[in-house]
Amino acid sequence: MSFLTEVPEMPRGQLRDFKKGIDESFREFSAAYGEGIENFFEPLLWFMVWFEKMLLAAPWPVVVLIVGALSWVGSRNWKLSLGSVACFIVIGYLGMWEDTMATLAIISVATLLCISLGIPLGIWMAKSNRVQSALTPILDIMQTIPSFVYLIPVVMLLGIGKVPGLLAVCIYAIPPIVRLTNLGIRLVDKEVLEAADAFGADYRQRLFGVQVPLALPNIFAGVNQTIMMALAMVVIASMIGVKGLGVPVLRAISNQYLALGVLNGLAIVALAIIFDRVSQEYGRRLQAHRQGVDHG
Amino acid sequence: MKKLFTTAAIASAAVFGLAGQASADGHCGSLTIAEMNWASAEFIANLDKIVLESGFGCEIELIPGATMTTFASMDSKGVPDVAPELWANAVQTPLKKAVSENRMAVLNTAPITGAGEGWMIDAKTAKENNLKTLADVIARPDLFPHPEDASKGGFVTCPAGWGCQIASNNLFKGFKMGDKGWKIVDSGSSAGLDGSIEKAANRGEPWFGYYWGPTVLASKANLFLLDMGPFAGNDHWDNCVMDPECADVKPSAWVTSVVTTAVTSNFMEVGPKVAQDYIAKRQFPADAMNAMLNLKDENQWTGEDTAYEFIERYPDLWKSWVPADVAAKIEKSL
Repeated sequence: MSFLTEVPEMPRGQLRDFKKGIDESFREFSAAYGEGIENFFEPLLWFMVWFEKMLLAAPWPVVVLIVGALSWVGSRNWKLSLGSVACFIVIGYLGMWEDTMATLAIISVATLLCISLGIPLGIWMAKSNRVQSALTPILDIMQTIPSFVYLIPVVMLLGIGKVPGLLAVCIYAIPPIVRLTNLGIRLVDKEVLEAADAFGADYRQRLFGVQVPLALPNIFAGVNQTIMMALAMVVIASMIGVKGLGVPVLRAISNQYLALGVLNGLAIVALAIIFDRVSQEYGRRLQAHRQGVDHG
Repeated sequence: MKKLFTTAAIASAAVFGLAGQASADGHCGSLTIAEMNWASAEFIANLDKIVLESGFGCEIELIPGATMTTFASMDSKGVPDVAPELWANAVQTPLKKAVSENRMAVLNTAPITGAGEGWMIDAKTAKENNLKTLADVIARPDLFPHPEDASKGGFVTCPAGWGCQIASNNLFKGFKMGDKGWKIVDSGSSAGLDGSIEKAANRGEPWFGYYWGPTVLASKANLFLLDMGPFAGNDHWDNCVMDPECADVKPSAWVTSVVTTAVTSNFMEVGPKVAQDYIAKRQFPADAMNAMLNLKDENQWTGEDTAYEFIERYPDLWKSWVPADVAAKIEKSL
């Protein structure tokens, strides 16, 4: 009867050897290839350090003006543009300028990286069912596995600092853009595609002239989610030595500094809202323009 | 229904109260021990549990926790009763206050001999380049390149928000390391700090930063505490090195770490006198502790496994902490 009451368990020694074997082989792998992998990411590190230095060295009115101008270009909405300028001035006034610039640097790079990898992946996924069924579980793992589980291996491989932080952010933030690009393209009406085929569109014309434009609402929802998730990871990234708004949040958590935590948390929220509104407005404008051409 | 609960609560409170009364003359009531979230504390908590349960007939519950949270709960709620390895520097002022107001007591001021924190480097780099003191290390920033700026030396500082971060960053200024070609590497969290040591040890790279011992990682990576020169006094440490705003930090050695076993006043009343003696006498020599921690890590033992192995491997040590009849009881229970 013990079979029914006791869960069959791997013998303790074997289980231990199994776990130790995995640990050992990862250590060997990291000792053998860690340096090479680190060198591979060297240009990325260099770019991030340069970008952050530039943001910090630029006079603050210039940065604020660029933020205002970018949000105007993106949204053509003066309220939004003024609001972002005001947010940045308040952030600076409350003494969070440097941390915000550091966060801005890593988030911009992370978002660009995620979008430039995520959209092609999503397109590839939409094209082939086999790729979709292979990628979906991987995306599930990336989104649900607790980030602490992969933080330590990433740190062992790459050390502490910006690059492992960027990887941790991207692992968490890339799935929505891949998923929603895939979904958007798959949701394009069959009739529309038939029409495109009937006009003799080749694969590229069909993709960039019909599928991607029609999938834009979903793709932009993906971009938006990616930005939001990247910002949510700022604190976790700070746990492995990324400078930015996450550092004061961590300090606040371990010392119960309420105001420090709330202020820096709100600064992250402000960044998120600016990124989100501008990208949403930009997406809407892009589609309105295309619709105008289509129907006009 | 509500009334029933209240009655039950009062009744049980009375029973526990009585149990507390009765135990003053030899019996042991039910007690809680903090099992803090690092290897040596886990091990000591489990050893205390085994000894108090099978040796003194107490009923022990282990409560997981971290330093600050456990201390706050002991101070204000009186639970858990025992913190086997409390790093007192982090809670110095409130601990003094709690002791003077009779809410808590410090039973053992050195549960582990040779425990300490401060700036460490790995033994291999030290030997190869003949680095003996902190001054030697500061003269060679080229040996420890900063990950983001290889022209500077990188000093891995303590995690964000810990007291040691303020002290380390201030001492960095105090030793004028910024002018001597050094930059601080933010470790972010204890996971980040551990990871950076693992990585360096794994690849045979030099490592220089803040850490503490006895820990598995420090002994695996062969880290040792650097001689940081003379200590500039408690007054300077408390009012300047620990103050992020302090402008004039002088070079100083790290303050001596006070590791204690702290208990609540409840333990002093409920716990039998002999159990208190055991806690006061329980002192692990550094080599025994290091050996146990290495074994724990190698075999991926839990705190409980480690405690039983310790009882088997070091009988002379723990038998010197308890009366002979209690030792016999513990041996019989194995």
